[in-house]
Amino acid sequence: MSTKKTAETEEPRVGVYICHCGGNISDHVDVKKVAENLEKVPGVAVAHTNMFMCSDPGQELIQEDIKSGKINRVVVASCAPSLHETTFRGAIKRADMNPYLYEHANIREQVSWVHHGEAATAKATSLVTAAVAKAKELEALDPIKVDAARHATVIGGGIAGLRAALDLAQRGIEVALIEKSPFLGGQAANLERIVPTGERAADLIQDLAAKVMADSRIRVYTCSRIVKSEGYVGNFKITLKTQPPDSQADLEKLQEVAAKGEKPGRFVPFAGFLAVKVPTTASEQVLDSGAIVFATGFSTYTPRDGEFGYGQNPEVITLPQLIRFMSQEKSRGRSLTINGRTIRRVALVHCVGSRQIPGIHEPDADGGLNEYCSRTCCAATLQAASEIRERYPLTHVLEYYRDIRTYGRGQEEFYERASENHVMFLRYEPEDPPQVERLSKGNFPLRVTVKDTLTFGEALSADVDLVVLSVGMVPSRIADLVDMMKLPVGADRFLQEVHPKLRPVELANTGILLAGTCQAPMDISEACNAAAAAAAKATSLLSKGYVELDPFVAQVDLSRCKGNGACVAACTVDAIVMQTVEVDGQSVERAEVNPALCTGCGVCVAVCPENAIDVKGWTLEQYEAMVDAIVAD
Amino acid sequence: MSADKANSNKGKILILATESCAYPGANSVGQAHSPYPANTYILRVRAPVLFPEKFYIDCFRKGIGGIIIMSCGEECPYEGAYHALAKRIDNVFQMMKAHNLDIRRLRLTAICTVCNRAFLKEVNEMNKLIEELGPPEYKEAA
Repeated sequence: MSTKKTAETEEPRVGVYICHCGGNISDHVDVKKVAENLEKVPGVAVAHTNMFMCSDPGQELIQEDIKSGKINRVVVASCAPSLHETTFRGAIKRADMNPYLYEHANIREQVSWVHHGEAATAKATSLVTAAVAKAKELEALDPIKVDAARHATVIGGGIAGLRAALDLAQRGIEVALIEKSPFLGGQAANLERIVPTGERAADLIQDLAAKVMADSRIRVYTCSRIVKSEGYVGNFKITLKTQPPDSQADLEKLQEVAAKGEKPGRFVPFAGFLAVKVPTTASEQVLDSGAIVFATGFSTYTPRDGEFGYGQNPEVITLPQLIRFMSQEKSRGRSLTINGRTIRRVALVHCVGSRQIPGIHEPDADGGLNEYCSRTCCAATLQAASEIRERYPLTHVLEYYRDIRTYGRGQEEFYERASENHVMFLRYEPEDPPQVERLSKGNFPLRVTVKDTLTFGEALSADVDLVVLSVGMVPSRIADLVDMMKLPVGADRFLQEVHPKLRPVELANTGILLAGTCQAPMDISEACNAAAAAAAKATSLLSKGYVELDPFVAQVDLSRCKGNGACVAACTVDAIVMQTVEVDGQSVERAEVNPALCTGCGVCVAVCPENAIDVKGWTLEQYEAMVDAIVAD
Repeated sequence: MSADKANSNKGKILILATESCAYPGANSVGQAHSPYPANTYILRVRAPVLFPEKFYIDCFRKGIGGIIIMSCGEECPYEGAYHALAKRIDNVFQMMKAHNLDIRRLRLTAICTVCNRAFLKEVNEMNKLIEELGPPEYKEAA
C-alpha cells in the first residue's frame, strides 16, 4: 500500500481551516473562538484561521499540513461550496491527497450574513463540528472512468439541432442527426423573417442545412425515429427506425414539393430543407453514441374550439397561419387580402395559450395549464403588425395585449415601430379577455369587445375582418422518448434541466443534453446559444475517448446485501440490476450498480432494509453523524 | 462551549436542502442579508429521497425540534424522486403519530434558488411552531 493510501486509511486526522473572508465572516463570527472550539473536537488535528482561505497562502496552509502528515481529512469553513469547493479539492489534489477527503462548511451565506453575535459564533461552531463529523466518515473516492464513443446523436433537425450538429462536427465529433420528418429546419421553416434581425428564415435554414449536408462527419437520418435506447454516457446504443413518411402533414408537404419539381438539397417554404430522398421501405439500425443532444423543439398551441371564436369562425386564425397567408399574398394592393377577402381591420390577440392562470383558463385534456410566458409571441406579433401597416397602409391593426414582453436585444424597437405605424393598442386583464362575436348585419363579420385598462376599464368594441391569435409554444410530443430514456420533465411539461446557472443545458441523466425549445420557450438566437452550449459540453465529455464522472453514485455493500431487490425496483433509471455471484460457495443474487447510469439520487438508499446501499460521498451514516454533532452541543 | 450555547435552550430545526434548488436558495437569502433564527441547521442533500423513514424518527428521538425538507418539488432533476419522497413522507407522518410526535414538526416544501420569501416564511413558521410545542416528546411506538 502506498504512503498516500496508508494515510487515507489511517485514523482520521482532520484539519479545520476557517476563513475570515476579509471580514465578511469574521465581522460577525468570532473565527478565533470557533477554531479554539474545534481544536477540542475529537479527531481534529489542527484548526487554523486565515484572512482568505481561497488565496494562495490559504491553500498552501492546507497543503503544508497534508504534506507534513499532520492531517488526512480537510474541512474548510468559508463561503458557499458552489464558489470554492473545487478550489479546495484542487489544492488537496495538488498536495497528493485524495480530493474527496474534504468537506465544506458554509459559514458565510448561511451564518455571518444572516446571524450576528454569539448566536453566529455558536452556529458556525455547530456547522463546522458537523462537517468534521462527516469528514471523519469520508472515504477516498476516484472519478468513474468509462470509455466513450466519439460520436453524438442529435435528436431533432430544427435550427437548434442543425447548430448543435455543426458545432459537434467542427470539433471532430461524429454526429448522427435524427429527424422524424423528411425535412430539416423545424418550426423555423414556418416563418418568413426572424426577429429581431429581420433576416429570412429560408436563408438561415438553407445555409445551416447545406453546411450540415456537406460535412462528412454528420450523417442525416430523416423520416427516422428512435425506437430503443440503452446504455449510458459514452456508450449509448440507439436503435433507429427509418420508414416512409406517414403523417398527413408530411405527405401534403411532399406533394407540394413534388408539384414544384424541387429536389433534395433545397429549402421549400413552409416545409423545410428536403435533405435526402424519402425512403420507400422501412429499415432499422443501431447507433453507438457517446452523448445525446435533445433538440426536439416545440409545437404551437392549438386554440380550443370557441377560444376567441377559433374553429367557429373562418375569420379567426393563428399567427403562424397569418404569416403563411401573407407570404403567399402576391397582390400589390394597399389593403391586405386573405383568400381574396379584403382585410380593412385586423385584431391581433396576445397571450393565447400562454400565461394561463388556474381558475381563469380552462385546463387541457390532461389537466395542464401553460402558466409560462412563451416569450417569442410579443415580438412576432408586433413584427406582423408593422409589416401589415407598412405593406398595406389601408389595413388597420388593433393589438389586444396583457403585457408587452419584448425582452430581448433589439426587440423593444418592434414595439416602437408598431406605435409609429399607428397600430392601436388595447390592454386587457386575464379575467376580462377580448370577446369575439359574429355579426349578422353590417359590413364586418366579427366584433371584438374588450374592457380596455388603458382607458380605465372602458368597454371598447371594434368591428374587424380578421382576428389573429398569437399562439404560444407547447412542448413537443416526445412522451415515447421521455419514457424510454427516463427523462425528467418539469411542471410545465418541457424537459427539465438540472439548473439554469449551475448546470445549464444538462439533464440529470449524464450524457444527455438539451438544445433549444425542448427545454423552454426561447427565440432562435437563444436556441442557437443553448445548442452551442450543449455541443460544447458534449464535446468536452467525449473528446478524450473516455468520460470521467463524479464518484457520487450508489454502491452496494456486498457484506450486507441479501439480494431482496428493493433497490432495483426503486431505481427509476435502471442503474441497478441483480447479478448472480458466488458467496460461501453458493450462487446468490446480489444488487449491482452501473455507475455510469446512476444519477446518485439515493432513491435506492432509503428502501434497502439491510442498509446495504449508499451514495458514495453522501452516505446515510455521514448524515447521521452530522445530526449527532448538531444535537450534541 | 457553554458561552456559545446561545441557541441551546431553543429547539433545533434541521433543514434538508437540495443542492440544485433549496441550498442555493438559502445562499440567496444570505446574499440578501435577510436574517432568520440561528437555530437552523442546513444540510446539503442531492435529493431528500435518500433518507428512509427511520432517519426522521431518529432525528426527533435525538432531540431535533423540527425538520423542513426543502426540495425542488416538481422541478426535481431526478426522475420520479419527488413523488417517491412525497410518498415516503406520508409514511413518516404515520410513524410520527405512532411515536407521539406532532406531524407539524415535519414539513415538505419546495424552495427554488431565488425563493427568499418562501424560505424565510418556512423557517419562521417552523420556529414559531417548535417554540409553541416545546421539545419533542418521543415515545416508543406501541
